[in-house]
Amino acid sequence: MDAFLQFIIAGLKNGSIYALVALGFTIVYAATGAINFAQGEFFMLGGMLGAFFASTGLPLPLAAVAAIAATAAIGAVFELLAVRPIGGGDPLRIIMVTIGGAVVLRQLALHFFGPDERPLAPFTEGLSIKAFGAAVERQTVWIWALTAMTVLVLALVYRKTAFGRAMRATSIRRDAARLVGIDARAMVTASFALAAALGALGGLAVAPLTQTAFNVGAGVGVKGFAAAILGGLGNPVAAVAGGLILGLLESLTAGYLDPVYKDAVALMVLLVVLFVRPQGLLGGSGREKV
Amino acid sequence: MRGARTLGRLAPFVALAIIAIVPLLVTDRFLLKIFTFAGINALVVTGLALLFGYAGQVSLGHAAFVGLGAYTCAFCTVRLEWPWLLAFIASGALAAVGGLLLALPSLRLKGHYLAMATLGFGLLMTLAFVEAEPITGGVDGFGGIPFPTLGPIEIREASSLYWLVWAIVGIALVAAFNVTSLRPGRAMRALHGSELGAQACGVDVVGVKVRAFVVSALLAGLAGALYASVVGFVSPSIFTLTASIAFLAMAVVGGTRSLSGPLAAAVLLTLVQYLDALIPGIPRETAQTLQSYQEDIYGLAIVLVVVLAPGGLASMWRRQTRGSHAS
Repeated sequence: MDAFLQFIIAGLKNGSIYALVALGFTIVYAATGAINFAQGEFFMLGGMLGAFFASTGLPLPLAAVAAIAATAAIGAVFELLAVRPIGGGDPLRIIMVTIGGAVVLRQLALHFFGPDERPLAPFTEGLSIKAFGAAVERQTVWIWALTAMTVLVLALVYRKTAFGRAMRATSIRRDAARLVGIDARAMVTASFALAAALGALGGLAVAPLTQTAFNVGAGVGVKGFAAAILGGLGNPVAAVAGGLILGLLESLTAGYLDPVYKDAVALMVLLVVLFVRPQGLLGGSGREKV
Repeated sequence: MRGARTLGRLAPFVALAIIAIVPLLVTDRFLLKIFTFAGINALVVTGLALLFGYAGQVSLGHAAFVGLGAYTCAFCTVRLEWPWLLAFIASGALAAVGGLLLALPSLRLKGHYLAMATLGFGLLMTLAFVEAEPITGGVDGFGGIPFPTLGPIEIREASSLYWLVWAIVGIALVAAFNVTSLRPGRAMRALHGSELGAQACGVDVVGVKVRAFVVSALLAGLAGALYASVVGFVSPSIFTLTASIAFLAMAVVGGTRSLSGPLAAAVLLTLVQYLDALIPGIPRETAQTLQSYQEDIYGLAIVLVVVLAPGGLASMWRRQTRGSHAS
């Protein structure tokens, strides 16, 4: 029973991170209709930049904020330089550009920060919290709190603010949004910045537990995407649910079968969902009409 | 204007002749090996040209199919002591089956789920090559793979290996050319334009995409078997995401709706990796710098081509010949 509880805790911890990455996929997909293959690299940049800023002597909270802001800026610049020139056209070209861009971002991180793993201090020092016979690391509590807060703030922004409504309008129908005076192109840039910030937050929050390196992006990207697909691509609530479910599946597989299979779970989930229920657990019918 | 057209018609034959006589002009064994590697990459990229350039799908996992072929060939020839040709065919077949299993769920849908599924597949296979130690030899790799044999003839000379590889590339190119210029090719081009439109005209959209993917996986598997037999040693560090990106970059730079463009790009981008061997006078540091920025070049090349010249080399060449045609 104790072991089971421990697996659940680990699953919800990783699941929260996948949820953040999945939200990033969802936001860019809503704005462009394309999958952003650089999403995992934003996760990597968050961790690496955080570790870098902290190593320059910046206090940890400041380093964290700086890392998120810098990654968001990189996301916006990435959109302006590579995605915008394509225009709202062919999603295949947007996907290709994000693939190439992901490689460039990863290589830049390699050239700047080197090939070694980098540590980051936990947000608060201290022993694990014990409850019901299970131990919860303090950083795990941080991850849960930050994810919950982010989801809450995002939901409020999307419902209550003019910016959020403009984002939603653009994702529903780009042309119509333009007709009522929304700068649809700026919304796409904003979606990349926001997705980058979410990825960075995930990378930053998990770095104290796992360390981080220039090459962690692709793996996390696949898992975040599997989570987004599991819930239903394009739906933020579903992305969070998908992330948590994927995290739980992974940690239970690793716990009860073999840790070697842990990384296979995401791909299995991805393929099974595509095969059985491509609209995701919470998605409606995704049929396209002529 | 007629000159340009005749040139365009003659180009494949001229290229073929040049490729065929290389071993007569180049005696350096290391150089020949580089040109052989170029042929192996060309085989993979020919499959990707069908998949990307004609069917409009992206794969980020083709190195995994190359690896699957390489390990199958190694295992069948060394452990099972199969004749080489049988092992070679088995390598292609296994990669094709793997491709089918991956493509069926991913390609039923619109959007580019295949790209993500192949990315996951590639990462997973890299892991599998390391973990399945009894079969693959783990991180230490798999050595002692014999040279190709055809019946009693063992192919071990650098020049013979070169000819074997390029002969298979030639067969693949002819087959691919037939596919693209006949009915399946028209179907593929149609769905690159508009999937719904193609569907409305009675094109089996999913079937065409799945077939293109399976053929590309098959060619990648065969290329892997050739690699294993030419080098004699395989290890998991070769069949990584980095290699998949390199193959994709070659296909993208080569261009859409073309086989000769990707072929040229595959050869050129392979040769860039060995610039120090090709140009003897080049300073060592320059070569090393170039090597450490190899992946940056692939990434940037993909971005630049897609943003600035989405048709790649092939469409630049087409525009050139058409331009001189109009004058």
